[in-house]
Amino acid sequence: MSRAARIEENATCLGCGCVCDDITIVIDGARITEARNACALGLRWFGDGSLPGAVVGGRTSAIEDVVGEIAAVLRSARAPLVYLAPDLTTEAQRAAIAVADQLHAFVDGVTSSTAAEGVLAAQRRGRASATLGEIRNRADVVVFWAVDPALTYPRFQSRYAPNPVGVHLPNGRRDRTVIAVDVGDQRGPDDADVRIQMSAEEEALFLESLRASLAGRTVGDPSIVARVTELATRITRARYAVIVTDAELPPEQMDAPTMRADSLIALAQALNATTRGSLCTLRGGGNRNGADMALTWQTGFPMAVDFSRGAPRYQPENAALPRLARGAIDAALVVGATTTLPTAVTDALRHTRTMVIGPRASESAIDTSIRIDTGVAGIHESGIAFRTDDIPLPLRALLPTPRDTASLLKALGAAIVAQGAGA
Amino acid sequence: MTRLCITGGAIHDPANGIDGDVRDICIDGGRIVASLPADVPVLEANGMVIMAGGIDIHAHVAASSVSLGRRLLPEEHTLDPVVAPTLEDGTIPRSGTGGTVPSTFTTGYRYAGLGYTTVFDAAVAPVAARQTHAEFDDTPIIDSGFFALLGNDDYLHRQIAAKEIGRAKDYAAWILKSTGAYAIKVVNPGGVELWKRNVREVKTLDDPVGASSVTPRRILEVLADAAIALRLPHPVHIHCNNLGVAGNVSMTLDSMRALEGRRAHFTHLQFHSYGGERGKSWSSAARQVAEYVNSHPEVTGDVGQVMFGDATTLTADGAVEYLLHTSTGRKWINADIELETGCGIVPYTYKDKAAVSSLQWVVGLELFLLSTDPWRMVLSTDHPNGGSFMSYPDLIRLLMDRGYRDEKLKSVNQKMLAGSALADGIAREYTLNEIAIITRAGPARQLGLKQKGHLGVGADADITIYSRDADFAKMFSTPRYVFKAGTLVVEEGQLRRAPAGKRIYVQPGFDDSLLRDLGKYFETYSAIQLANYPVTGLRDAPAATGAG
Repeated sequence: MSRAARIEENATCLGCGCVCDDITIVIDGARITEARNACALGLRWFGDGSLPGAVVGGRTSAIEDVVGEIAAVLRSARAPLVYLAPDLTTEAQRAAIAVADQLHAFVDGVTSSTAAEGVLAAQRRGRASATLGEIRNRADVVVFWAVDPALTYPRFQSRYAPNPVGVHLPNGRRDRTVIAVDVGDQRGPDDADVRIQMSAEEEALFLESLRASLAGRTVGDPSIVARVTELATRITRARYAVIVTDAELPPEQMDAPTMRADSLIALAQALNATTRGSLCTLRGGGNRNGADMALTWQTGFPMAVDFSRGAPRYQPENAALPRLARGAIDAALVVGATTTLPTAVTDALRHTRTMVIGPRASESAIDTSIRIDTGVAGIHESGIAFRTDDIPLPLRALLPTPRDTASLLKALGAAIVAQGAGA
Repeated sequence: MTRLCITGGAIHDPANGIDGDVRDICIDGGRIVASLPADVPVLEANGMVIMAGGIDIHAHVAASSVSLGRRLLPEEHTLDPVVAPTLEDGTIPRSGTGGTVPSTFTTGYRYAGLGYTTVFDAAVAPVAARQTHAEFDDTPIIDSGFFALLGNDDYLHRQIAAKEIGRAKDYAAWILKSTGAYAIKVVNPGGVELWKRNVREVKTLDDPVGASSVTPRRILEVLADAAIALRLPHPVHIHCNNLGVAGNVSMTLDSMRALEGRRAHFTHLQFHSYGGERGKSWSSAARQVAEYVNSHPEVTGDVGQVMFGDATTLTADGAVEYLLHTSTGRKWINADIELETGCGIVPYTYKDKAAVSSLQWVVGLELFLLSTDPWRMVLSTDHPNGGSFMSYPDLIRLLMDRGYRDEKLKSVNQKMLAGSALADGIAREYTLNEIAIITRAGPARQLGLKQKGHLGVGADADITIYSRDADFAKMFSTPRYVFKAGTLVVEEGQLRRAPAGKRIYVQPGFDDSLLRDLGKYFETYSAIQLANYPVTGLRDAPAATGAG
């Protein structure tokens, strides 16, 4: 460490939806040299903090002119899309939605492609949920349903459950029962106290049988009932049971939705007839929940919002990806990091006139003649981000860049106004 | 900058003892001034009624709970798309959706369209205060603030258990300061924590909440005293135990007596004024509650009127929402929020053909009509719990127009109305000045907002001008002009400008030694770093506390 090194404590990591806010960042010159407390995902997410700073336009590389070009392309489009990619502050997400509203565009983000099932199920049923800190302090039975956080949410177990001491769990891990539910090759954690296994084909019936069991009925054949009874007994005897599941669907499941999300919500709700319990749904990194949240408060809908008639319309069954795939979008502005977009979205964008404002836009795999490099939320840009459980946390610019995404988007909004009203 | 005199209108400014006199109101910048030179522009308001901008003391408009509600209700939003208004001030107008829980921009526009210029969100989980500020930043025109939930906070309960009452007060101050809140809110004191422990009923104010020394009574006392000691402009804001339960009036009156002699605000009292017996019978107990409030000047309240139609029940009181979910079968959100509070949401429809809805409607009106001091019993629907804020004009008509009210009363379910004062006939009709009190002057006084709720010299130029109409609902639903901080936002009934509102919050002091103990607590139990808890970058200057 050179003498120029400085230390930023309590930095917030957007490597996954856990949004750990206890990262100590060591900065030497303009590079991050250490990210203490960060997991492997976090280390990768922070990286060394270096970024390209290119501004590429069709005709010029003066930032005002490129912003103007983006405005002109979007304004002349018949069916423009504003796409909220990961790694944006909620301030930038809000500004991007404002631009979509101004343009009467379609606005969407990764949620509709990776986590729509859970969102829609929660709109049908509601949900019984708890924030991560509540789980840490209260949950004495923790069921990992087809998810091993060690892989995709690495610090979940050490920060939230089952490992930490909690108000009602003075001995931490020893006061909790961990149940791994393995569904086919989607396994729960290795060190669970109890393991319940089923094939992917059995899951729907198992969940149905489990809910019936909570209601005092027996459904399903004996081979299932024995496992169901064991799980039902354990979760109903809990003081506070939490069922943890991954809300992010793997790409191969995107086209073959199951009723898992719906059934787990119903199960968690039903638990509350006799004891207390909740469902914890894990979201990926890059402030995905923030996009849903800002869309919700600005438009009333969490994803797939169509402004084409001048007011928000909810189109979850006709979201950005299918629109792009069938050529129904004629200009797309992607805001945020294109590196973490679902492959299907990246592929579909290749066939559309696309512009990118985001970190590493100039290195994006999406071929575009208009791109502006910006910073990453929480590394180069400050604001807020939402944890997987909707708790807002602060993001600080550890390595401030002069080009802040939210400000750029506001300038874009102003340019659209300056070029003349409305779509 | 506005320099303008409004002439010829009938001024209803009860805070300054003016009841319909025709006088000029002069605006210079954002404030009301005594006079202006004769050559300034004039807005003629001959025959019109002029009041200060409306103030909503208790609504749910910008909070994590509110957005959980928004996300739950796509079907409502789909039915109420709202295109962007045409604005003349250069701000980029925004579209949105309405329903019982409108999107943020639509919330700001609609409040302004009703002549309301200041709104408080009544229940914010401190840990999620950042979200409230961000949502208010997207809620144009209105000045805004919020109350921080403290009645079920684990750290606070620990201080009460340890008899560290000074530290409890310091903690309350730290929460308010860290979150940019305006007042202390208590929801179902101890009852939300008990719900998290699967204890579903608070039977008395002396039920233990974990430790035997932590009881709803102690929580109320400690927080009421904290608000007084910190010289907060608004006293502790209390949602009593057992909301919505038959027979809860005894708990409500016990809570009031527990704080007798201390300043306290009891909110949405309609939901807490039921006689009868849990699971057996219901009746109105509005008279008992009104009589208590009438005879205790230290107590203020708001009604939480139920209006027939769609509503969304949305509260930190998770336990009550579970009951509502099981009794209605409608979709349900519960969200237990770490170490602090809870949240429950169920969409609900109040039907005039339903016995309980009708009783609730009657109880609310009785509270209005039996309260002798309108300064201390102000208008709310606990939006969106008892109905949307958009129903305020109809509620005003019910209060001002006995014929309309009696006609409506005949059409509601009569099953539970035997012995109710309203069913026996109440002749009272609110006057325009009384409406000005319960919608502006009263809330301003209860909130300690010295520059709001009146039209005297130095007041914020938040002014609403109505055209007279025999139909008071019509009159109050479409103000002719609305000024917000001197800017003409509604002109000839149309929204024309949408400036950003101000944030209203306090920054009380506390003994720094709190932070050592709190640091240890955070290290052991919190999922958030203490350093990351406080909200930074608050806009606008804080409101003064106490004499300072």
